Amino acid sequence: MNDKPRSGDAEAQETDLQSALATPDIRIGLQLAVMEITALSASELPALDDDAQQDWSALVACAANIAPLLEEEIADNHELRNLAGALRGYAEMLSESASNPGAALASVIARVLEGTGEPVLSGASASSETIEPIPGLTGEPGFILAVDDREENRELLARYLTRSGHFVVTAPGGAEALEMLANADVDVVLLDRMMPGMDGREVLRRIKAEPKLRATPVIMISGEQDMQGIIECIEAGADDYLFKPFNPVLLQARIKAGIERKQWHDREQLYRDQLERNERFIRATFGRYLSDDIVTEILERPEGLELGGDLREVTIMMSDIRGFTTISEQLPPDRVVSMLNRYLGAMTDIIMEYGGTIDEFLGDAILAVFGAPRRHDDDPDRAARCALAMQAAMAEINTANRNDGLPELEMGIALNTGNVIAGNIGSERRSKYGFVGHAMNVTSRIEDVARGGEILIAESTRQALGAAYALGPSREVQAPGLDEPLTVHPLEQELL
Amino acid sequence: MSAVQLLLVEDNELNRDMLSRRLKRAGFEALIAEDGAKALASIESERPALVLLDMNLPVMDGWSVCRAVRAKPELAHTPIIALTAHAMAEDRDRALEAGCDDYATKPIDFPALLEKIARLLER
Repeated sequence: MNDKPRSGDAEAQETDLQSALATPDIRIGLQLAVMEITALSASELPALDDDAQQDWSALVACAANIAPLLEEEIADNHELRNLAGALRGYAEMLSESASNPGAALASVIARVLEGTGEPVLSGASASSETIEPIPGLTGEPGFILAVDDREENRELLARYLTRSGHFVVTAPGGAEALEMLANADVDVVLLDRMMPGMDGREVLRRIKAEPKLRATPVIMISGEQDMQGIIECIEAGADDYLFKPFNPVLLQARIKAGIERKQWHDREQLYRDQLERNERFIRATFGRYLSDDIVTEILERPEGLELGGDLREVTIMMSDIRGFTTISEQLPPDRVVSMLNRYLGAMTDIIMEYGGTIDEFLGDAILAVFGAPRRHDDDPDRAARCALAMQAAMAEINTANRNDGLPELEMGIALNTGNVIAGNIGSERRSKYGFVGHAMNVTSRIEDVARGGEILIAESTRQALGAAYALGPSREVQAPGLDEPLTVHPLEQELL
Repeated sequence: MSAVQLLLVEDNELNRDMLSRRLKRAGFEALIAEDGAKALASIESERPALVLLDMNLPVMDGWSVCRAVRAKPELAHTPIIALTAHAMAEDRDRALEAGCDDYATKPIDFPALLEKIARLLER
């Protein structure tokens, strides 16, 4: 029954060849279908209706039965065709029963239909007009670029896809295709592999090499059913492939999957852009009073934006310029601003260098905190060393001031260690990361009595320091709300 | 009213399972037989409304089944659709000669098969 014409007869050989061409080895299509079913069966599928779930299980079981036969050297083509028929039947059932198959499943269904179908000859393409789209395999309309060197193919594609609701442009060659891609936001490219001049594979390579185009799905249309060619195209970045002459229903399923891929990518890009804008906003907002690395740390934590209030022990620093009000009254406003900016700029750099958080500037006064939002084991020491560095920097500032004919400045600094509430404080319209608590007021009181060039540290800070420092004679300060006077110590230098 | 009873004769298990499932989904009751002899026995005992008959069957091939059915007056009216392999034009012609009412080539175009079944059941 399966007898083939015996060779030796030229005419018979020709018939043999023709029939071989008309019915290409079913194993390739079957192999691809089985591979894709197996791959998808290993991943999680969206929930399917009962019928569809049954059909999918049957399809997977059927593929598992076929797989060993494909390994055999000598294929029983009759048996393979029978099995292909069963596989195709389940795929057809599934396409009817799955009301919402999802792109991955739709693509596998399409692959099975394609891999198990009898070849559609070019002459038969007219009959394609009557093929109804399989429900669930049509999707959103897209903007499609069809590239084929043959005019009749371009017309066929354009006609069919336009009828499916897509917007179609065509290009007769690779150069024209790239030109169009550069000027339009194409959702899917259908690319003929064999073209004179720049062939499909080269166009594919260029699309995938161009960052702006890389995400555009490319479906290769190949006249050759060779595995090697398919593999080469997929390695070069092709998203899908179709054999010529293609079945219009499969084409539609492939395009749907491509458009969905592109839309996912576009949404992802939009999301990324939003994140980037948020990050820029956060950097611009926080960057003024937090050092870059703290901002980065906040951004890297998913909860970074929710700097909710928490009670924590910090070392508070307040500094100001002695007699600044008097000094500023004797200078033109622009001179005051430039003098202040030089001073505040230098101090900001030092505070950030030591890991402090600048809470705010009040005129010439600086309020900074060590220990929030980022905590270090040695926050009190950081504050102490920072204060010493700030006082040391005054010499340089005053040299610059002298050269500019500006008055020399003297700064007092107070350090106090205590519990504060740290968090985003304010109203919805205006809020900032800040600190509240009695310890803040105490620091301010100590600041009031600090002399020019002096660093006064509270007893709480002295106890919290880890390193050894030279301290001047202690003084007592009357703090508001406290019955007992506060003991403060002038910090002179670190003992190394 | 109970579902119309069809007999599906097919030796390939995967294909048989798939087609019977599909026929049930389409609202038929599907009896099955895996060879020609069992098919003939089932036609005699169950009197299905229609037979879907694969031609290349073990024990007794489809052509013989068809001729046997047509030879028995009480069964002769049973509509039979031959299931033949694609590209086997002579199988198809022989099936019609043997008395099959219609044929469907594999892989089966199921909607077209349903139409053929409906047409034959209407007679």
